[in-house]
Amino acid sequence: MIARINHVAMLTLIRREMVRSIKIINQVIWPPIITTLLYVFVFGMALGSRIKQVQGVSYSEFLIPGLIMLQVIDSSYGECSSSVFQGRFMNSIQEMLIAPMSAGEIVFGYVLGSLVRALVIANIIMVLGVIFVHTLPRDWVLYFGVMMLVAVLFSALGVIFGLLAEKFDHIAVLTTFAITPLVFVGGVFTSAQLLPPFLRNFELFNPMFYTIDAFRYSYTGQSYLPLWLSLTVIGGLACVSLGTALRMAAVGYKLRT
Amino acid sequence: MVKRYGDFTAVDDVSLRVEAGDFFGFLGPNGAGKTTTISAIVGLARITSGSIEVFGYDNVTQWREARRFIGLAPQEYNFDRYLSIRDVLIFQAGYYGLAPRLVRERADELLEQFGLQRHAKLEYTKLSGGMKRRLTLARALVHDPKILILDEPTAGVDVELRLELWALLRRLNAEGMTIFLTTHYLEEAEALCRNIGIIRAGRLVALEPTRDLLARAGRGLQDIFLELTRA
Repeated sequence: MIARINHVAMLTLIRREMVRSIKIINQVIWPPIITTLLYVFVFGMALGSRIKQVQGVSYSEFLIPGLIMLQVIDSSYGECSSSVFQGRFMNSIQEMLIAPMSAGEIVFGYVLGSLVRALVIANIIMVLGVIFVHTLPRDWVLYFGVMMLVAVLFSALGVIFGLLAEKFDHIAVLTTFAITPLVFVGGVFTSAQLLPPFLRNFELFNPMFYTIDAFRYSYTGQSYLPLWLSLTVIGGLACVSLGTALRMAAVGYKLRT
Repeated sequence: MVKRYGDFTAVDDVSLRVEAGDFFGFLGPNGAGKTTTISAIVGLARITSGSIEVFGYDNVTQWREARRFIGLAPQEYNFDRYLSIRDVLIFQAGYYGLAPRLVRERADELLEQFGLQRHAKLEYTKLSGGMKRRLTLARALVHDPKILILDEPTAGVDVELRLELWALLRRLNAEGMTIFLTTHYLEEAEALCRNIGIIRAGRLVALEPTRDLLARAGRGLQDIFLELTRA
């Protein structure tokens, strides 16, 4: 009798993703942490002395949740897109394709593996926030809930772009032209309240704004948008992204001929 | 089965049955449709029409059951470059649903059997060509399949290793393993296979016991192969 879900295979893929992250730790774990520390010291100290309070907290405290979200988005997309693309490029993904693994098990394996990496990075930054900025999340359920939802959204996008890409260069397209600019203008460094009105309206079309605004609520207890709206947008986008990744894997898009 | 890529028919109405326990050779020139056929059997290619059964299980509707029976040793090396060779075996077994604690011993046995135990902690990129070929076979066997599909298993290996692999394949077959072999070395097919199928331009042009094929023409397999594939 064959199990309907191959849990062992999915756990194996999650473990494989963790092994991969450890093998390339200098490329995927330390850089986001060092970059975050630099942001905290350079921006937090340089600008923090001039900006007294943002959303009722010091600028450095305001900065930490935005920086965590920045790295969660970056690492979850990066992990899945490069791992899926490399698997296709080296054909090693065939090890899974010939095994009794469903498309869902493969996609969830990649997404959850990437989620683990994002959680590790995020929580190291959270601890650094405690040490250097003396700030801690107030709402842990929201902290982990938003983090996981966002990681799932961008991991699934990573799977999609890992499947679409024809060369390594292609997986950087979304990062360079969408993710990075939208994250930077999406409220990592500034509150929407400080922006001119026309830019504030623009932010409503920026999905990153919803992720950062909702996540910051777990630290400051305040948000620019109603929390339910941000959670609905993030949840909706995560469902669309995950659904698309599952569909592409199920039809064997660029996986099976 | 039929497999088309757009207007191009890679496999054209090929129908064959490999009995359990057989040592079957699937021969043909480059581009004849051998690898496409193998890809269809293991599920890497979706057939356009027809059906494939593996030990009674349809490989489309009952793919989980069908795939569990198959071990594939592909022509190209496609190992996971982030894993040690011991982990290549353990993780592959994991994808087949076997938990690591259950397969560590099996992985070590295979490494020992294929003379790779000294290199267990290395990544595959550090291995010689012959060792990579052995690892390909070890990986195909790690989940204890009932049919072993070999795509050019001795390509690029020296004579000594080739004879060693032949002995291993004979032993596996004697123990009941069904073997489906593609090779360009006709002497290999002649020496190992009980039954042979020859494919040309996607069509099966011969399917019979090796002995009958050789007796029919009274010549070597090479002459028969050339006659059938040049026509």
